[in-house]
Amino acid sequence: MAGVNVESGGHGGRRSVDSEINMIPMIDLLMVTISFLLITAVWSHMARINADAQVPGPPRPDEPIEKTEPEKVLHVEMRSPEKFVLIWKQGAQTITTIDVPRKDKLEVTNGFKEIRYPELAAKIESEWKSVGSHRAGSDKKFDQAILHTDNETQYVYVIGVIDAIYHPKRDFDLKGRPEKVPAFNVTFSVN
Amino acid sequence: MAISEPGRRLMHDVQLKFVQKKVKGGGGHGVNASLSLTSMIDFLVVTVVFLLMTFSASGETPAPAGMHMPKAENTLDMIDAPIVSINGSQILVDGTAAGNTRAIEDSKRLQRIDELFNMLKGKREVWKQLHPGKDFPGVVVLQIDQDVPAVVVKSAFQTAAFAGFPNVSFMVNSIPKSGTGGAKAE
Repeated sequence: MAGVNVESGGHGGRRSVDSEINMIPMIDLLMVTISFLLITAVWSHMARINADAQVPGPPRPDEPIEKTEPEKVLHVEMRSPEKFVLIWKQGAQTITTIDVPRKDKLEVTNGFKEIRYPELAAKIESEWKSVGSHRAGSDKKFDQAILHTDNETQYVYVIGVIDAIYHPKRDFDLKGRPEKVPAFNVTFSVN
Repeated sequence: MAISEPGRRLMHDVQLKFVQKKVKGGGGHGVNASLSLTSMIDFLVVTVVFLLMTFSASGETPAPAGMHMPKAENTLDMIDAPIVSINGSQILVDGTAAGNTRAIEDSKRLQRIDELFNMLKGKREVWKQLHPGKDFPGVVVLQIDQDVPAVVVKSAFQTAAFAGFPNVSFMVNSIPKSGTGGAKAE
């Protein structure tokens, strides 16, 4: 039988103090644990990308309505196959318009498509650093980005652009603990 | 005939030849191989530790067969929420059929998906009955195939928002962060 003998004396007619560790149940346990972990292992990790439908909450009659200046909102247009258009708007007023050349770097692996827009991500980050309103860690609000796309665009391209919008990160105090979170909240334009 | 001294006859009575060879010594190599327990147990322990470290209880939501979801880098961990699955023209809510997208694809216009709306609204009502006095989180996860047109995505997004689920998440395959804004690390 497989065992490990742990010798620790036992001479001179006394009762032996040797103990034997039985290896078989231990190896069985390890094998069963490995089998369980391999069977339950998840090799493709699912995650999510958040979007906000910007639905206003119910009216609160007890709170006075404050007239505040409309915030700057980044509109990302991906209707053209040649370029993205970034437009900063404050209410109905257009502040700046920037064109970013569109280079679709589509990669297909085992049928899974992956599209990335590094130039767009870099430009959005620089724009947010210069124009973005909510950058302090204690600020509970986020800058808004609205995605405009035509109806025929495939979903994978939409996710590529949302991924690029989520590239700039800012500090956010989460229960006194600073965390890096995306600088923008993304929503869709229904037009 | 000269008388010669007899040779060794020890163990001559053993019938089995391979046992005879073994006990008499000489002959070929033994057929038994020894296995080092120490290295084997080390290997098993290391494997267990690795698998335990990579084990994840979240994000194990299986994708339906044949569905290819896009990959993204700047992602969040999965959460427990109703899953609206759109594959081809079929819509499922937590595995139950909730209409199809043919009407939207034919008209190419944004429109509310009534069956999806009713099912999500029902889920919202059930949640409120089960959690009285609590704020409804309004989170729904859209699990959409990578080739579905944007009009279907926007329709599902809008329908979910109308049904009381304004916090919409898109399920994607997570890829490691490159830190280069989506550019591939060379």
